[in-house]
Amino acid sequence: MAEHKILTEFEGIKDSRSLKTYLKHGGYQALAKAFQKKPEEIVALVKESGLRGRGGAGFPTGLKWSFIPAHIKERYLLCNNDEGEPGTFKDRYILELSPHMLIEGMIISAFAIGAHKAYIYTRCEFYEEIKWMNEAIDEAYKAGYLGKNILGSGFDFDLDHYIGAGAYICGEETGLISSLEGKKGQPKVKPPFPAVAGYLGKPTIVNNTETLAVVPWIVNHGASAYKAIGTEKSAGTKLFCISGPVKKPGVYEVPLGYPLKDFIEKEAGGLRDGVELKGVIPGGLSAPVLLPEEVEKVTLDYESMASFKSMLGSGAIIVIPKTQCMVELLKVTLDFYHHESCGQCTPCREGTGWLANIMKTVMQAKAKEDCYDKMYEVASHMEGRTICALSDAAAMPTKAIITKFKSELLNYLRRG
Amino acid sequence: MGTVETKEEVTFKLNGIDVTVPKGTTVMAAAKREKVAIPHFCWHPGLSVAGVCRFCMVKVKGRPKLEISCNLEATPGMEVDTVSDEVKDSHKWALEFHLANHPLDCPICDQAGECGLQKYYMSVGKYNSQMTEEKVLKPKALDVGDKLVLDTERCILCSRCVRFENEVTKTGGLGIFDRGDRAIIGTYGDEKITHNYQENLVDICPVGAFTSKEFRFKQRVWFLKEKSSICPGCSTGCAVSIHAKPEMETYFRVKPRYDKKVNGHWMCDKGREILSGLDKKERLENSYLQDQDEFSTCERPDMINHLNSLLSRFRGKKISLLVSAQYTNEEYERLFSFFVEKMGVRSIFQWRSKEEKLNDFDGILLRGDRNPNTRGLLDALRKFHILKEVENEFEACLTSSSDLIFAFSPLLSSSFSSFEEDLARLSKLKSCVCLFTTSYQARDYIGFNSLIPLVSFPEKTGHYTNYKGEKRELEGAYPSFIHEGFDVCELVNELDSNIKASLRA
Ligand SMILES: Cc1cc2nc3c(=O)[nH]c(=O)nc-3n(C[C@H](O)[C@H](O)[C@H](O)COP(=O)(O)O)c2cc1C
Ligand code: SF4
Ligand code: SF4
Ligand code: SF4
Ligand code: FES
Repeated sequence: MAEHKILTEFEGIKDSRSLKTYLKHGGYQALAKAFQKKPEEIVALVKESGLRGRGGAGFPTGLKWSFIPAHIKERYLLCNNDEGEPGTFKDRYILELSPHMLIEGMIISAFAIGAHKAYIYTRCEFYEEIKWMNEAIDEAYKAGYLGKNILGSGFDFDLDHYIGAGAYICGEETGLISSLEGKKGQPKVKPPFPAVAGYLGKPTIVNNTETLAVVPWIVNHGASAYKAIGTEKSAGTKLFCISGPVKKPGVYEVPLGYPLKDFIEKEAGGLRDGVELKGVIPGGLSAPVLLPEEVEKVTLDYESMASFKSMLGSGAIIVIPKTQCMVELLKVTLDFYHHESCGQCTPCREGTGWLANIMKTVMQAKAKEDCYDKMYEVASHMEGRTICALSDAAAMPTKAIITKFKSELLNYLRRG
Repeated sequence: MGTVETKEEVTFKLNGIDVTVPKGTTVMAAAKREKVAIPHFCWHPGLSVAGVCRFCMVKVKGRPKLEISCNLEATPGMEVDTVSDEVKDSHKWALEFHLANHPLDCPICDQAGECGLQKYYMSVGKYNSQMTEEKVLKPKALDVGDKLVLDTERCILCSRCVRFENEVTKTGGLGIFDRGDRAIIGTYGDEKITHNYQENLVDICPVGAFTSKEFRFKQRVWFLKEKSSICPGCSTGCAVSIHAKPEMETYFRVKPRYDKKVNGHWMCDKGREILSGLDKKERLENSYLQDQDEFSTCERPDMINHLNSLLSRFRGKKISLLVSAQYTNEEYERLFSFFVEKMGVRSIFQWRSKEEKLNDFDGILLRGDRNPNTRGLLDALRKFHILKEVENEFEACLTSSSDLIFAFSPLLSSSFSSFEEDLARLSKLKSCVCLFTTSYQARDYIGFNSLIPLVSFPEKTGHYTNYKGEKRELEGAYPSFIHEGFDVCELVNELDSNIKASLRA
């Protein structure tokens, strides 16, 4: 799929992270173009392009930007580079290839929404990426792309890099804001939404790294060029990161709407020899698992995934081989959410613990056969009832595994 | 909070009935006003919205998901349902989640009988718990403040206490530590909560996580009677209710009542100490007459006769009143109309504590003027044209060379720092001094002519006027267990009618 290299343009290019290389390939030209426009024209452009947030929820980016109340002038842009969704390793790839693409995207986006200060929020485990990002920020400051009066436009903009301690919940946008404010990483009750009252109570836009990094391309090539890629409702390309027993696990850029089966076979080189497919988790651990027959039919876009009651999520494709015990998979899944729930909402705090606890009794052969029905019911009452979607993220895969692999789960109990 | 008051109004439907509220009102606040019960734990009208318990779910017609009503602004035409099966099911499950790790300590928990978990189990729960797995154990009976004991296992993490510390006292003494079902409420490190508003944490905690050291294990709450009163602790005059067990002749605790203009939802810990002065063993139970340097008790009619004969004996001599600002408006009215208008008394002195810093204010509720009715006393004095001229009226009274002094002592000697010293000096006067008091201590000062026991504030009716002129009622709901105690107004009525009779005779 070499035809659309938007985010992966710098793949295979030597010294791809340096400003020199970036400039050689037309870097920061979109910024100059953007400064010729009015901020609201850029918002309109991004709206027209059909770009949807790549952090998981797929919310239309331009629309989000337009929610900022006009009368409040102090605004912030935050780049969500926390990449906490298990299975996901695509944002770090952008930093590995071209951190300047993200910086340019952030300057343009900040200009569009009228923010003069932005933060990139990165988890501390990304040791190399943090270094690369910091080097790029330094270069950009020295070259005058950051700081006062950028490119003589009169636009001032400061960019800081904030390193989180590595909590899944700090990837949720309001959890991220709390953390950035120096508080415990806990999501905030909405409304107010961040676009109205976010970081320090001021209008704040939180976007995923990938979302922001694609903005320069859209400015350079126009909204319709972007919209022409992908499907009608899912425009553009997206990075997908595939893990599991495939021949070439890794990050690949494909247009949205690309068939999952082709992705596994053509991009990732197919399953390793002798491996049989049991299922695929298509959008990070929170996405409901798909069975092989569903994998045959589904395409990589928001709508198709929804029609199979799963989701595109972060674009993390986890391939599950026949040999994988689903009880163990469910157990580690629930241990993760139990560990990561921030604990403020009762259904999530108690539900994640309860589900993990039931799985413990399953593993200890202490559970009764109706335990999975109980889990299903508990999970059902955790969905759509909480401040953030972590509770749903725990409930959805649980329900899918119980529904789709019930007999295997029951056999596990009977085997003792 | 949750309600922003504006002139603009919105009308929405609550369970099919039109409800009109000020714009900005939340569905929760509107429902509370309409007496539609929406179960809730974390919402408190005096604190910011946390939206964490997820109990208060309602359904808005046309919207896919249930929503919490405490953070849902009522908008025109909105149709809200709080009673459908879907909503009820959400309430039942929210409760089940709250109880999942709850230790069910009810038999040994002070909160039993007034616990949110118990209450809601009866109203929205009544399920068979599905939780058969092991529960999370957490530390219990922690000493976290001089008035407080904390049981972190009973805590449902509603964060009310944390918000109280952040928003009301602004002391930030509490936090929620760790995450998920390991989350635990506590103070920072070894720190303790030391401010004067600790017991409010016990009040707002919807479960038995915070309990009061003072009240702990003393009484089952369902045996207590609860009557409205006004705290006499300072010139703020917080609305309170007093919880007592009349058959035990014991007052057990004081809780704040909501009064928007006076104390909002809170009261201070000093205000809870008023109970110590109401304790039977602190109080003067009988009338005493001095007889050859000794006090001996007498019956009520004897005391009335005694006072009458004093009044006749001292007619035409200098009679003075010494009053503290701890009596009701009605008592001042009755006292002055009798003594000033009938008996021609012109010298009325205010009995004030020496060390009181009248203008002090802690920024929340407690005022330096530790009298509930300074304003009422001043109003009454003005009405009867009694001029207040001197700074230290107590000293002035001592040097006034009055022949007969009727001294109405402070009813709360505990908040009156110079009380004992004042008694000592009063009792040494040459004048004939009749002391009207609730304090047992008075018996130690032998120089008084007579000691007249009074009923105290929860036992009498009347009004106080607080520092900013808000007049509030004492409902006088409890029969005094000081059986020989006098009510000032009734006593003066008797003296008055006796005087009339003697004039007629
Ligand atoms: C529990 C949880 C974790 C999340 N983690 C991330 C993350 O690591 N990175 C991310 O970009 N978005 C994450 N999100 C989504 C963000 O809340 C938010 O929707 C996103 O950053 C918005 O950016 P976008 O509009 O560009 O997608 C997470 C959401 C939840 C509920
Ligand atoms: S849903 Fe879970 S993780 Fe999200 S805010 Fe509530 S308790 Fe925290
Ligand atoms: S201690 Fe009480 S008030 Fe504080 S969070 Fe726990 S339950 Fe709520
Ligand atoms: S502030 Fe004053 S009136 Fe209120 S409770 Fe405290 S002492 Fe009583
Ligand atoms: S009362 Fe509304 S969420 Fe707790």
